[in-house]
Amino acid sequence: MATILCATRGGEASIHTQEHAIQLAQDQDANLVFLYVADVQFLTQATAAIVVDVATEIEHMGEFLLLMAKERAEKAGVKAETLVKRGVFRYALAEAAQEVGAALIVLGSPQEDNLTMHSLLDEIAEAIKEQTGVDVLIVGRNNAV
Amino acid sequence: MIRRTLFSALLVGLALWMLRPDTPVTALQGEQSGSHPELSGFLTDSRGQAISDAEVLVFLNDAAEPAVRTTSSEDGSWVVDLPGTDLESVHVEVERHHYESFTYRLTEAEVERLRMDGSFAFNTIILENQITLGFWVAAAAFIFTLLLIASERLQNALAALAGISIVFAATFILGAFNESFYVLNMERALAYINWEVIFLVMGMMIVVGILEGTGIFQWLAFQAYRVSRGRISLLIIVLIVITSVASALLDNVTTMLLMAPISLQIALALGIDPLALLIPEILASNISGISTLIGTPTNILIGAYAGIGFNDFLINQTLGVLGAMVVMIVVVLYFFRGELKKTSGGISEALYNKLKENAQIKDARTLKWSGVVFAGMLFFFIVGESLHMVPSVTALLGATLLLLLVEPDIEKMLRVVDWTTLVFFMALFMLVGAVQEVGLLGVFAEVMGNLIGANLPLGIVVLVFGAGLLSFVIANIPLAAAMLPVVRFVSAGIPGAAESQVLYYALSMGAAMGGNGFIISGETNLMTSGIAERAGYPISFARYLRIGVPVTLLTLAAGTGWLFLRFALTGG
Repeated sequence: MATILCATRGGEASIHTQEHAIQLAQDQDANLVFLYVADVQFLTQATAAIVVDVATEIEHMGEFLLLMAKERAEKAGVKAETLVKRGVFRYALAEAAQEVGAALIVLGSPQEDNLTMHSLLDEIAEAIKEQTGVDVLIVGRNNAV
Repeated sequence: MIRRTLFSALLVGLALWMLRPDTPVTALQGEQSGSHPELSGFLTDSRGQAISDAEVLVFLNDAAEPAVRTTSSEDGSWVVDLPGTDLESVHVEVERHHYESFTYRLTEAEVERLRMDGSFAFNTIILENQITLGFWVAAAAFIFTLLLIASERLQNALAALAGISIVFAATFILGAFNESFYVLNMERALAYINWEVIFLVMGMMIVVGILEGTGIFQWLAFQAYRVSRGRISLLIIVLIVITSVASALLDNVTTMLLMAPISLQIALALGIDPLALLIPEILASNISGISTLIGTPTNILIGAYAGIGFNDFLINQTLGVLGAMVVMIVVVLYFFRGELKKTSGGISEALYNKLKENAQIKDARTLKWSGVVFAGMLFFFIVGESLHMVPSVTALLGATLLLLLVEPDIEKMLRVVDWTTLVFFMALFMLVGAVQEVGLLGVFAEVMGNLIGANLPLGIVVLVFGAGLLSFVIANIPLAAAMLPVVRFVSAGIPGAAESQVLYYALSMGAAMGGNGFIISGETNLMTSGIAERAGYPISFARYLRIGVPVTLLTLAAGTGWLFLRFALTGG
């Protein structure tokens, strides 16, 4: 049985991506794994002392967000697994794809009409496809990379 | 174990060193003898500010070399004992970098008086500022540093180091060829570093690192969720109160890094927009720190510079802060009124349990000791003034005691001390010292002084709104550091302002509240935004602006109103 890996954050924009992945898993009778990456690169912008383990707090938040996605899948009759990884998004995603043996990676397209964000996402998708050989589908676009 | 003990011993040593009795400072470096005639005087600049470290040379009987020399002390005073009583003529020269030299030859009558009375006191000697190449170098370095910080092109500490390096390069390299490039030497630069601030910040970093790792704030946020039973307005208010108390006593950024993830989960559990909880928390965090000495880095700077203690901030700011908080709560409840009407359909048991698990106390033993030590620290912050115990000593003793009691990994504890922040403070102090040394801040102070005159209400408005609006775009720490000498000068020109220190409180309110203006105005805002984005709820500049600007303007007005009431109308 093939595995679909859906990388998600959990906001309003992600719900559409999650629903798309759930639908795909249903149609293809595939396993579904939701992935959250606790990427704390934004902390490097801080000049104040970061004296607590922020990555762990964000991992906890990710677990909660994925649990919501999992419940959404279960409501649709799809059994889903969750995976939280820490690190830089593109590397953690490639690592997770290899770890779960993904046949397809599902990503969400940024809601905002932001060309930089779109091209950055395209670049990530290309790099992951090249590195893992796994197809990447960006929800909101027509074709898989 | 050995390293922890050594580190604790070091902290105790530092605390004891800081508790040492003040050594009497004397400017007298010449020959001292009770039977010899004495010359004395005061040095000030044209704005009446004392000039320290000026060299005073006394020439006797037309000799080519000075018979005695001394330097002026912090309050601008100087005194020399003259060798022998065989005085024919006396002339005095005063020299200091960045000031015109002063020369005075005593008249025959004055020399006679000196011989007969055994002493002669000059009227206050006023030295005129001199604009040198060093002035322009220091000004350019300071503006360059502010631009680097504002544009985020360099990390703050590196930007400040770059600024002071330019100053030193001008002083020591260019100054070797042309003395006009001189700004200040290393000894003078080090004298500008406020070590009380450095050790207070370091001690608090250790305490905060231990206390906030216990999970207490996440647990409190979860209790707020439970108690509110789905009433969103009540939840917002309770979370604001928790964030406010935490930010008033601890560090704003750390508080929000802990509060934001759990608040986000609570919002999702209730089915509301997470920004309805996060934005009020940001606003509360930036405002509430104003009421205590340790609540914001700017208050630590102001307190150390102006000698304003923990109790002074508490007494003179708390009601103003509460007023501003009420205004802020009204605005956020109106702004998020759509979210308040939403009703939650409830969450699954699994989600509830996950939320509960994420909000549990992580280390009860550490929490217990942290609570005890922190309560003790608060006690000493309050009564410390009567014991002449400065807040940095309390912070160092508290940090040491906590380290000994909870036995944390000392390597980890040394990592939680953010050395880059401490380096930033040190470099910034030296850089502000440089612009003060060359007279740039004096020029700015004069402009401010002319604008405000002796009008206290105008001074309060200018300081609160000026610092507030500048904090929209300029980091408030360098802003406050640069403004301190200016505030001292302006205060001196307003009857009662120097005694009540009202303008320092105005600076404190403005600099902190201004951090609420834009999402980029403060680090608390940026870090919270970073977490919100990680959950798919980015806080856009425009969306934040719609609430940030009105809340800032209204809270600045509330703060101003309080300072009017407390100082301008009732006389403090």
